[in-house]
Amino acid sequence: MATQAASFSGSLKKAVAGIKRINLDGLRWRVFDAKGQVLGRLASQISTVLQAKDKPTYCPNRDDGDICIVLNAKDIGITGRKLTDKYVGHLKERSLKDQMAKDPTEVIRKAVWRMLPTNNLRDDRDRKLRIFEGSEHPFGDKPLEPFVMPPRTVREMRPRARRAMIRAQKKAEQAENGGAEVKKGKKRAPSQV
Amino acid sequence: MTRIKRGYIARRRRTKLRLFASSFQGAHSRLMRERTMTQQRIRALVSARRDKKKRKRDFRRLWITRINAVIHETEVFYSYNRFIHNLYKKQLLLNRKILAQIALLNRSCLYTISNEIKK
Repeated sequence: MATQAASFSGSLKKAVAGIKRINLDGLRWRVFDAKGQVLGRLASQISTVLQAKDKPTYCPNRDDGDICIVLNAKDIGITGRKLTDKYVGHLKERSLKDQMAKDPTEVIRKAVWRMLPTNNLRDDRDRKLRIFEGSEHPFGDKPLEPFVMPPRTVREMRPRARRAMIRAQKKAEQAENGGAEVKKGKKRAPSQV
Repeated sequence: MTRIKRGYIARRRRTKLRLFASSFQGAHSRLMRERTMTQQRIRALVSARRDKKKRKRDFRRLWITRINAVIHETEVFYSYNRFIHNLYKKQLLLNRKILAQIALLNRSCLYTISNEIKK
């Protein structure tokens, strides 16, 4: 346990802060890997788990959610052009890109915070959420349980974007092959950072 | 006109009020002269009447959320709405209260039910 804590390079204090205030009996520790996940969809899954809405003992007046650990916060995916065009908070002028450079955990935290129902339990639920940038965390000794995200139905690309992508692809292929093949590839993935 | 003393009528009414509001917090159980107790009693009675009807809705909501929670674990892309649809198709008359209790206590039983009605 000591060695594991030492290998975690980061603010241990901030990570473990407030753990004593949670009543930990019987709660599971779910680990989310944010690598390659889309921001909003991951956040909505996290908020479901934090509210204990995946347990049959759900009770709206009680905070029974599992503790969620999110790893690889800096590798989260954003679809579209939101990285440069989306602003975190609406009054402050800080685009997503800058926010990710500054403190990527804040992005996920804000997303989940806004998805939780606004009541007195929101603070307690937020305390159960721990986000880490890399893939190390000081909770190695707890019984961790990886969370399997439900499979995504990826939306088909809009025609214009797809045509643009095909053109770009063709150009790249022509540069490589000398223009021999004409392949129409159907790309079905979001543009990742 | 003969003289009529009011006697104990007012006192009886006020004692009833005091008894009703005895468990309220702070000034709401103490101030009779400032009308706080009367007002709080009225609000309490209104809430009670309104929430008797709301109670039925609230519990149904709770049952649905709980059933949904367990149904999502059954398989991918399965949810409460599809489950209920299948239930109606097979004309199974279990109501949500019972389904929620089954989900809570005997989860494998609920899995069996959902598998059966999917066929």
